Amino acid sequence: VTGTTERHGRARVLDIGELPPGTSRTVEAFGMDIALFNVQGELFAVAAKCPHAGGPLCHGKVGGTPLPSAPYEYRWGMDDRVLTCPWHGWQFELETGESLFDPLVAIATYRVEVNDGSIYVSEC
Amino acid sequence: VIDCDVHNNLNSLSELGPWLDPTWRQYIESGGYGGFSLPNYPYVHPSGFFMGDAAPPSGGIPGSDYEHLKTQLLDAWDIDYAILNGEDILNISCIPNREFGTALAKAHNRWTLDVWLPRDERLRASIVVNVEDPEAAAREIQELADHPGVVQVLVPTGAHRGYGDRFYRPLFRAAAECGLPVAMHAGADGLGNNPPPTGAGYPSFYIEYHTLIFSSAMAHLVSLICNGVFEELPDLRFVSIETGVAWLPGVLWRLDANWKALRMEVPWIKELPSETVRRKVRFTSQPLEQPASLQKLRALLSVVDGMDEMLMFATDYPHWDVDVPAATGRKLPDGWSERVLHENARELYGLPAKAPVPVAAA
Repeated sequence: VTGTTERHGRARVLDIGELPPGTSRTVEAFGMDIALFNVQGELFAVAAKCPHAGGPLCHGKVGGTPLPSAPYEYRWGMDDRVLTCPWHGWQFELETGESLFDPLVAIATYRVEVNDGSIYVSEC
Repeated sequence: VIDCDVHNNLNSLSELGPWLDPTWRQYIESGGYGGFSLPNYPYVHPSGFFMGDAAPPSGGIPGSDYEHLKTQLLDAWDIDYAILNGEDILNISCIPNREFGTALAKAHNRWTLDVWLPRDERLRASIVVNVEDPEAAAREIQELADHPGVVQVLVPTGAHRGYGDRFYRPLFRAAAECGLPVAMHAGADGLGNNPPPTGAGYPSFYIEYHTLIFSSAMAHLVSLICNGVFEELPDLRFVSIETGVAWLPGVLWRLDANWKALRMEVPWIKELPSETVRRKVRFTSQPLEQPASLQKLRALLSVVDGMDEMLMFATDYPHWDVDVPAATGRKLPDGWSERVLHENARELYGLPAKAPVPVAAA
């Protein structure tokens, strides 16, 4: 899908009906490939490729992860906030794009808005 | 020079008699218990484990005679401090009778502290513990930690489980609380009731065994990291003795990469494993790998960030593959020798600085 650039840095990419809850799509806007996620009605947009080996992030699972803990403790958290790359399992916080192992390793994130039934992304 | 691996030796187990319960004295003397491996040490160096000239002129086993050790090692190679690690006592982890193993460890420690240390102010001691009885090991550590000559706790690479397993935690906790590093020395793999020395079972030849001397050391290091032992015990310091260093880049690269993908399984790891190793773990140099090109050795040593602060010199006296301080110093990357030959060990063990040598004498 190629978005229609309305003004610099903002593009209409999909009808809202094209991205039902629980699905993801790769779209193109301002010359970038962007992975769009509808997580229970909340929309997220991040770079389409994992910085590690180029894995297609739109095929990654969105879920939670065990939070940093004391040895042998498992505390589940960040539900619906973590994107796992389908290739090697690198995990990123959907909202900030930061990887869970090093905040300096991150994917680009984009602002997503819905207006009049259309999804728009813009550069943060 | 600080020598982090010196093997003082008993001529016979019965020398430990004064520190043993009569039960164990009888076990050794009448029962005929002959040594620390059952039934015999299976891997033999074809021309002997010891340096050819290490047998004391007085008779006896290499490493058993202080005067000879003083002349041949401490004086000849200008050793400021030598850390005594014992010899076969390292193998007690393979003794099925845990009480006997623990009794031997305790007796050996008292023999080292009472008989060896008073002979020379350059000597320091590792205390040996029976890793397969971690509660007893913890009590022994607590009992001896305040002795001024004790610098660390010694365990073998040969053990029933990886050292990160919580079975061993009392030992590591006691050491961390007492401010003593735990040092793991290659040995006891495949002996007695210990697991085989490699993942491919028992090697046929000593050359295989000795080449693969690091295989369980790698497993223990990865086990300690992945079980979060350094997270749980932030004061713990760990030393790997006589296990080589050339494997380190590969293992750390793999562990770092795997953690990035698999941190869900071990969420208690909160930094790159290589960073933890850099801060908490030290490696002794002997037997330093010997590629044909010194340039390649230097390049490899430089691959691990911070290796200049992680490597500590050791001779392994009086063993056949002894490393000599001056020769090791020449092999190191430029500017490393001061740190490796003494400063890293001095910092870790808190040893007093050597009195400055007057300029005229230098």
